[in-house]
Amino acid sequence: MMWLRDIVPAAQNNINTHFILLDKGKITRDGQNKMCLALAGDKTAAVHLQLWGEECDAFEAGDIIRMENGIFSYNRNNLVLRAGKRGKVEKVGEFTMEFVETPNMSEIKWVPDPNNFNKYVQHSVISPHSRIFPPIP
Amino acid sequence: MASKLIRIASYQAESQQELSLRQAFDLLESKLRPPFPLTIPNPQEYTQLNQAIIYGVLIEPHFAKIHIKHLHAIVVDGYKLFLTLLVGIVNELYGKFVDSVKDQLIWVTREMIDVSAVGIDGLLVCLLRQIIGGDFSDGNLWLCFELVSVCLSKWDCLLEEEPLVLTSALYTFLRLLSDHCRLSSNLELGVLRQLEIEFCVRMLREQFHLCLKIGRDLVRLLQDLVHVPEFRTIWKDLVLNPSEFRTAGFSDISQLYCTRTSSRYFLLRITPEMETHLRFLLTHVMLGSQKRYQTWFAKKFLLGPERESLVVDIVRFLCCAHHPSNEIIQSNIIPRWAVIGWLLKCCRKNYIEANGKLALFYDWLFFNEKVDNIMNIEPAMLLMVCSLPNYIDFTHSLLEFLLLLVDNYDLDHKDILIRGVSSAFHTVVQKGVVHSLDVLTHCDGLSPSIRQRLQKLLFQ
Repeated sequence: MMWLRDIVPAAQNNINTHFILLDKGKITRDGQNKMCLALAGDKTAAVHLQLWGEECDAFEAGDIIRMENGIFSYNRNNLVLRAGKRGKVEKVGEFTMEFVETPNMSEIKWVPDPNNFNKYVQHSVISPHSRIFPPIP
Repeated sequence: MASKLIRIASYQAESQQELSLRQAFDLLESKLRPPFPLTIPNPQEYTQLNQAIIYGVLIEPHFAKIHIKHLHAIVVDGYKLFLTLLVGIVNELYGKFVDSVKDQLIWVTREMIDVSAVGIDGLLVCLLRQIIGGDFSDGNLWLCFELVSVCLSKWDCLLEEEPLVLTSALYTFLRLLSDHCRLSSNLELGVLRQLEIEFCVRMLREQFHLCLKIGRDLVRLLQDLVHVPEFRTIWKDLVLNPSEFRTAGFSDISQLYCTRTSSRYFLLRITPEMETHLRFLLTHVMLGSQKRYQTWFAKKFLLGPERESLVVDIVRFLCCAHHPSNEIIQSNIIPRWAVIGWLLKCCRKNYIEANGKLALFYDWLFFNEKVDNIMNIEPAMLLMVCSLPNYIDFTHSLLEFLLLLVDNYDLDHKDILIRGVSSAFHTVVQKGVVHSLDVLTHCDGLSPSIRQRLQKLLFQ
């Protein structure tokens, strides 16, 4: 299990993590499929979560979710965490989890590691919080 | 994977408890029909057998009697493990049970009352807590109906074996009646209401000495029902003819005022899930970070035209059944007064807000240092003081409400109220909850008349 602060963009289904859904955006359609962006967080960091298909209706803000074999990568220019085809997301509880909204791993500019082009490293912070789901004042 | 016990939503993780029961049942299925094996099970086998029988009773109605006979044959602990496991399952999964399982749950409850099972009070309380206040859905009213029917039909047995549980049931149904009687136009509630009234009146008339154990909140609950004909006479007797209750030692309503209500009763009107969420909020969430949690809580528990009435029960719970440790009080964790302030401001209906304030101040009215707990009165004091200066109108409305209560709550016992509230104020200073009452008595933003009345009360 990883903390969200430790996730790094990669084209691999290697993210096993556990977070609480903070906010959910509108469900949109991409052809036949439903999709929806959401804000998720654990006590170390937040991230944008991409929900796909039936996932969009299955989860609500306040749900605690376990993700196995998820992927954190660029999807239509958004850096998002998602289950992907090989991953799995499951609701394991509600409410009883601490979270932070900063840093947001999706609001960071990542660049290839100069020592290892297959890996990404953090370059700079685009925004301390999600610009799509700003914190409630 | 389909379950016979619960409705499984997609993307929902498996319940460990459900899994344990199902696995035990599958493992022992062949041994669950007569002739039952006569070998004495070791502790692990005993647990599995109890789990298998619970599962069988709940999902196989046509074999339920056989399962129960089996249980009677093998039980060695007065059914204690059986009930402990059952309570665990109900607390986690009641909302997801399929309807036939709920029927079986009531059936097995009756069976367990008949054998005076150890822990039957825990099961009954856990079921009473699953009745959601302000919820008029069929499922919820069904549970109300079943439980009040159990209490009525098993009256003699419960009175003999578990009389305190009847007081818990009284608290529950008196509270629910104030919601049910308000919707008098709803014909469907008629039968349920009659049963609830029958139970409550019988308790009050025949077992008043037991009812006294509830303490002062019994008065608070009865007051909401004085408009109901069956309770009007009871109320009159309580106020004017206490001897009508023919209870040795009871001669005046003030004896109830002086009895603090145990926190056990305030848990009754909060579901276990609500309790978990509230305790989490008050133990783990920093002041300033509570907004999202409050949104989720309100959406889950307070949404709906009648659900607001829960605020009153939650306020009582927060004041009396959740006392944070010193460590938490001194930390940045959101304090109780902030949650109560938010709840009171959620109220759209005036009478609910008023009942919420009464719930907040109830222990103030009769405060006695020797008998009462400062933790029950601390939230109200801090709410008044911490709302200054930004929410001065709120402080004003709270203080005004408190002073109005002292003047009007019980004209025959005004001396008790004055003493109680005055004692509460002095105690919060003495124990260091606030440094001094000057913050209120010398607050320019509060009207001179309020400040004067407060001064008069404090130095009476």
